[in-house]
Amino acid sequence: MSPKGEFWNRLERALDLSKNVSEPAKNDLGNSPSSYAEQGDEEDQRSEFKNQNPEHRVVNIIEIENLSHRFTDGTVGLDNINLSISEGTFVVIAGRNGSGKTTLLKHLNGLLLPTNGVVKFSGEPVSKNLAWSRQKVGMVFQDADSQIVGETVADDVSFGPENLRLDRDEIKRRVARSLETVGLLRYKDQKPHLLSGGEKRRLAIAGILAMEPKVLIFDEPFSSLDFPGVKQILSQMISLHQAGHTILVAAHDLDKLIAHTDRLVIMENGRIVRDGLPSQLLRELEAFGIREPLPSRLGMEVYSWLN
Amino acid sequence: MAELNVLGFHAGDSVLHKLDVRFKLLFVVVISLSSLKAFVPSLSLLTLVLMVALMSAGLSLKTALKDLRYVFWLLLFVFMARSLSVPGSSVIEFKSVSVTREGLYEGAIVCWRLVIVIMTGLSFVLTTRSSEIKAAVEWMLKPFPWVPAKRIAIMLSLIVRFIPLIFEQAKKTTEAQRARGVENRKNPVYRLKMFGIPLMRRVFERADNLALAMEARCYSENRTDSLLSSDIRDWIALAGVVGLCFMIVL
Repeated sequence: MSPKGEFWNRLERALDLSKNVSEPAKNDLGNSPSSYAEQGDEEDQRSEFKNQNPEHRVVNIIEIENLSHRFTDGTVGLDNINLSISEGTFVVIAGRNGSGKTTLLKHLNGLLLPTNGVVKFSGEPVSKNLAWSRQKVGMVFQDADSQIVGETVADDVSFGPENLRLDRDEIKRRVARSLETVGLLRYKDQKPHLLSGGEKRRLAIAGILAMEPKVLIFDEPFSSLDFPGVKQILSQMISLHQAGHTILVAAHDLDKLIAHTDRLVIMENGRIVRDGLPSQLLRELEAFGIREPLPSRLGMEVYSWLN
Repeated sequence: MAELNVLGFHAGDSVLHKLDVRFKLLFVVVISLSSLKAFVPSLSLLTLVLMVALMSAGLSLKTALKDLRYVFWLLLFVFMARSLSVPGSSVIEFKSVSVTREGLYEGAIVCWRLVIVIMTGLSFVLTTRSSEIKAAVEWMLKPFPWVPAKRIAIMLSLIVRFIPLIFEQAKKTTEAQRARGVENRKNPVYRLKMFGIPLMRRVFERADNLALAMEARCYSENRTDSLLSSDIRDWIALAGVVGLCFMIVL
């Protein structure tokens, strides 16, 4: 990315965040994303930037072109997917089980490679430089337990940076910073398996953050979490988004996420069937096996699940 | 999971934690070997030293005994085998089988030595991260050019790390099957089959997920090595351990 592009992204982010930054996290959760009109304005601002500055097309941090994936047994996982995701957005990919959400996400960091088509991160094909794209596109798996490899919390977070061959001091710094971000610093010498469900998932997030990614992918982040666990992870995701990360979430249950997303992509049978502002897709959700969020069912405006 | 604590690393800052892992590995070997030559006085001394070391490393005796309860069956078996097989003056006689005084003594000594080896291993595992073990193994294999040191080291450290998880999975499988009355089936082959196959399937599934998660975090064999640094403390400890072992052997 050119320095100028970097600057432009930062400016854009600053504009997006200017109204939230000074307030404590808990307050913005409720009021910023709840009104979709406001979100629409931001979208407009973004496209304006694009028009003013045609040579900086890196605004799309992820670009997927004609992506198809066929598994070795012949079943079609993904069928001609086209999707562009601009930097700093919070995108939810919804769909019933087996609709291809996880398969799609696994292409973004090259865990699966396309049968056809191309997936680009920052304009570069992911398959050209797997290590680099895996560093930049961090993935939090559904089962946090199988993601944790270290004997202590700090060890686990340092796993990623060690793979990047950073030196010890830098690793220490990153571990401390990431654990601070997810609020687990005081458990750094604890055994990961003694943590609660929500804490384990936060640890998985810290392990990803230590690699300093741009995009964070969450696959069913709330599965088998209790109420406090869901709250922790949701607020974590929101504050990471506010810190400028691009967030992609695969989910089959939209209740918790809907008020905080910029964009909703619905998948069915390996295809993208809807893509737009969440507010505009609410009524159609149930046709695709996704429950309509409760406030919307009751005819109310969608509000944050954290309230 | 909490029940299997004793088999894994415990963070801490005891003397054992601070020693260089290469020295610790050497100590395990030297102490284990010299215990083969040890008898009551030196075994008592070793037990005392190891007890102090384990306590300072933060081991709780109760959980250790509980986690290692199956080992005692092995010890019992060894003890019985010895006491029955060594010739000498008999204490108890039953038909043609006799328990001898010499057998009892020898059985006790052998078991004691095994306990020493277990305690040594325990104090090593308790105070050493698997990443450090990996680094030490790698360092020790380095002089042999035909050995894929990195790969062996990684396999070792993953095994150490995931044995507790396999135990946990086994426990879950057992519980799920008890809930469906597997205890009513007396045929051990049937029970082994019903237990073994799902357990293996889940272990492999888990291994698959783990591999994927590691790949997603840029796993490669070429990583930052853990710091291996020895200082004066390690050499002092080495002198101490070697001195102790000489006393035992001579």
